[in-house]
Amino acid sequence: MNNHTDFHDVRILRNSGLSIFIDNGEIEEISNNCTQGIACRVLVNGSWGFASSDHISDTGGVLSSAVRLASRTHARSPRPDIELAAVDPPVIQDLPLIEKDPGEVSIEEKVELLLEIYKRAKIPDVSSASVIYSESVTEEEYKNSEGVETQYSLVRCGFAVTAVASRNGVFQMGRESRFDVCGFELFDRHDPLELGHKAGTTAVDLLSANLPKGGRMPVILDQELAGVFIHEAVGHAAEADHVIEGNSILTGKVGSQIATPCINVMDDPTMHGFGYYPHDDEGVGSVPTEIIKDGILTSYLHSRETATLLPGTGRPGHARSQGLSRPVIRMSNTYIENGDSNLDEMLLEINNAIYLIGSRGGQVNPGEGVFQFNAERGFMVEDGKLTTPLRDVSLSGHTLDILTNIKLVGNDMKMNSGRCGKAGQLVPVTDGSPHILVSEATVGGSG
Amino acid sequence: MKQDIDQVMNLAQQAVDIAIQAGADEVEVFGLTGRSVHVDIQKDKIDLARESFAAGLGIKAIVSGAVGFSSTNDPSGIRDSALLAVGSAKVRNSDPDWSGLPVRSDYCIAKGIFDPGIDNMDIDACIDLSMMMIDGAQSVKDTIPISGKFTCSSFSYGILNSNGVEVQEDSTRVDGFFDCRAGEGNDLSTAFEFDISRSLDIDFFHIGHEAASEAFKSIGGVSIDSSEMDVLLKPNAIADILESTFCPSISAENIQKERSALIGKLENQIGVEELDIIDDGLMENGIGSSRCDDEGVPSKCNRIIENGVLKTYLYDTYTAGKAKVESTGSAARDNYAQTTSIDVCNLKIEYPASDIVAETNKGVIIDSVIGAHTANPISGDFSVEARNSFLIENGEITSPVKSMMISGNMFDLLQNIIGVGRDDRVLGNIITPTLKISGLKVIG
Repeated sequence: MNNHTDFHDVRILRNSGLSIFIDNGEIEEISNNCTQGIACRVLVNGSWGFASSDHISDTGGVLSSAVRLASRTHARSPRPDIELAAVDPPVIQDLPLIEKDPGEVSIEEKVELLLEIYKRAKIPDVSSASVIYSESVTEEEYKNSEGVETQYSLVRCGFAVTAVASRNGVFQMGRESRFDVCGFELFDRHDPLELGHKAGTTAVDLLSANLPKGGRMPVILDQELAGVFIHEAVGHAAEADHVIEGNSILTGKVGSQIATPCINVMDDPTMHGFGYYPHDDEGVGSVPTEIIKDGILTSYLHSRETATLLPGTGRPGHARSQGLSRPVIRMSNTYIENGDSNLDEMLLEINNAIYLIGSRGGQVNPGEGVFQFNAERGFMVEDGKLTTPLRDVSLSGHTLDILTNIKLVGNDMKMNSGRCGKAGQLVPVTDGSPHILVSEATVGGSG
Repeated sequence: MKQDIDQVMNLAQQAVDIAIQAGADEVEVFGLTGRSVHVDIQKDKIDLARESFAAGLGIKAIVSGAVGFSSTNDPSGIRDSALLAVGSAKVRNSDPDWSGLPVRSDYCIAKGIFDPGIDNMDIDACIDLSMMMIDGAQSVKDTIPISGKFTCSSFSYGILNSNGVEVQEDSTRVDGFFDCRAGEGNDLSTAFEFDISRSLDIDFFHIGHEAASEAFKSIGGVSIDSSEMDVLLKPNAIADILESTFCPSISAENIQKERSALIGKLENQIGVEELDIIDDGLMENGIGSSRCDDEGVPSKCNRIIENGVLKTYLYDTYTAGKAKVESTGSAARDNYAQTTSIDVCNLKIEYPASDIVAETNKGVIIDSVIGAHTANPISGDFSVEARNSFLIENGEITSPVKSMMISGNMFDLLQNIIGVGRDDRVLGNIITPTLKISGLKVIG
């Protein structure tokens, strides 16, 4: 077998984690996880081979499997050679400081805190509540054929509380979560008991909320939902692999006005949020990428391969993987920058509109630019005031229409953490925004 | 090389012994080894081929009815992992509802879940099948491949517990996915096709061809006005909605924790009279078939809805003990690093089939939906964006529809089925034909 490779890299991961699940006031599960593994990626004449194993000692076997896969792929489905964008070796600096090592906090203390959060969520009319806690330490070693050799370790910690309220056969949910690249000081930064209470009151308040009438109307999105919009609808379409596949509405639009001039969008892996990384999973040091500046598309998100294929459209540093999977172009901490408006001003601007709050998730077709998001709740906006509370309200439409219909951007940016799915892999991210006002969007609802 | 499951189960026996010595009343160890090959396609070329090997153990230790869990893939870490599981169980107070781990049973054989041709499939064969999808897509004029994926995997698992359960099984699966586009700019449309099987009986050319044809047919969509109308939900669409709403609502755990709208509805009419829904853990060739569930309880066929009447919830050993019924064999886990939860095996929708398009005067037919996971899993309310949808006029499929949402409630939907097609599809753990629903809200 010909062992010549144009490039190869090796990642060795060691991960240990603990999760605690409290359900209806009892410990439902305490789960410990300790895994390790190795992944090798090789490039042979424009074709990639990739192999991974749970046995970190098997570097030779994994590397030769990857070389064979790349060589066979090249033989049967040849592609032009790939030139990876030149990059400086990463410098690992400014890692988030861990103030309270979660491993030093006793399991009894953790359980006690979670039970207290549970109690705050379990207000009258809440029929069931659960709290999930997780902590993990991930150590990554990275080496490549260009001589890069680094390693770093990240601690992640967080919790989510969910309350379900029921009355006369109506069921509604409230959920709050905080996850971050940090230690147990997470619980000093956010008041977990207050958040537990908020999950409970949201669920109960929704019991008496109305179903919205669907249709086209002006909307105000809160920070969380606007953050989901910018991540799902804009961020994914800016991923260069989608662009190369012709599966993005942003194809060929770098340099064009795609949004109202008051919109600036960043993806910043150096920010100490849940999406933080010191270098990406092909060894490129992280740098902030400006996706939209004054409404003009300025960059896509790139890997070393795509940065060469689409020159002049941005820098690499966005290839990430879940565990031992292959690196794929992903977001990190994505947000709309603050503008100069605020919610009060927005309410006076529109009438017969809906204010949508929070998110239960969403999905997007980046090629057609069609998206669907579900808000956690909402309010009718009438005569400059929030009136009827609403539930099960969703938003859909075309990304580019929404971007050009944004009329006002608030000055109250907030970030939310979560996990983003793509190519069958989940990676930690945050997204955020200030409040935004959109002059017309499609609201779905069965009222 | 895929690791021998016998080696993993030797470690499992050690873990059982260590946990019992450390004070566990009962112990269960789930061991898994596997090999997968993935081929990623970008446009009309193979982008990356990947092979991965996994082997690990998940240890459940029980002390006074409280469960602690630990997992590892490091053979030298078995002892620490077993002790962590016992230590975690001791944190919890005793659970009076705990009725014990399953005991030794006889198992029926799950037929058609292992194909030796997949077990040792060479990379060249995987590349050939991947390229058949590309060929299929390129056989449709004026369309462009976006991306695709081929996966084949071979897994062996074993379950060992301190009550005498000792079971092993081998299985394989293969799947193909392809995404295509047609048209440009505002007229751009995309479509995907997918197929999955336990054996190499998939037509890969057809996957590419269907994705491309559907993308081509969807160009030039018309807008429609909001109204209520007959909606034909094709298998992809209905399976997505059921998975996010119906499946969680029949879980006995959600019933017992008051998180399901089906509480107290056993023996009630919850669907139209002709509707049957079964969940068959032994279905021949079934993607969710195995001789036992992931706790070692023998698999069986559960009749969930019979003539529109709800007959049972789905139970694992714990929830069955609490409700004083037998487990339905519904404990499932994705991998060794997770404990079990309740899930369907092969959920099948049955209803007398007819020519539902020809029988529709005015309506829409929807291939798939975006956003089903945002549905309210308890109330069943959903509001999703329709993909690749078409108008039906006078019994014939006519224009594509540009953009449209549908809003409704899954429980109402079961009561409003007025027909199903002859197009049963296997979509992973759900097997369904197209369902015709009357009076669903469409938002244009």
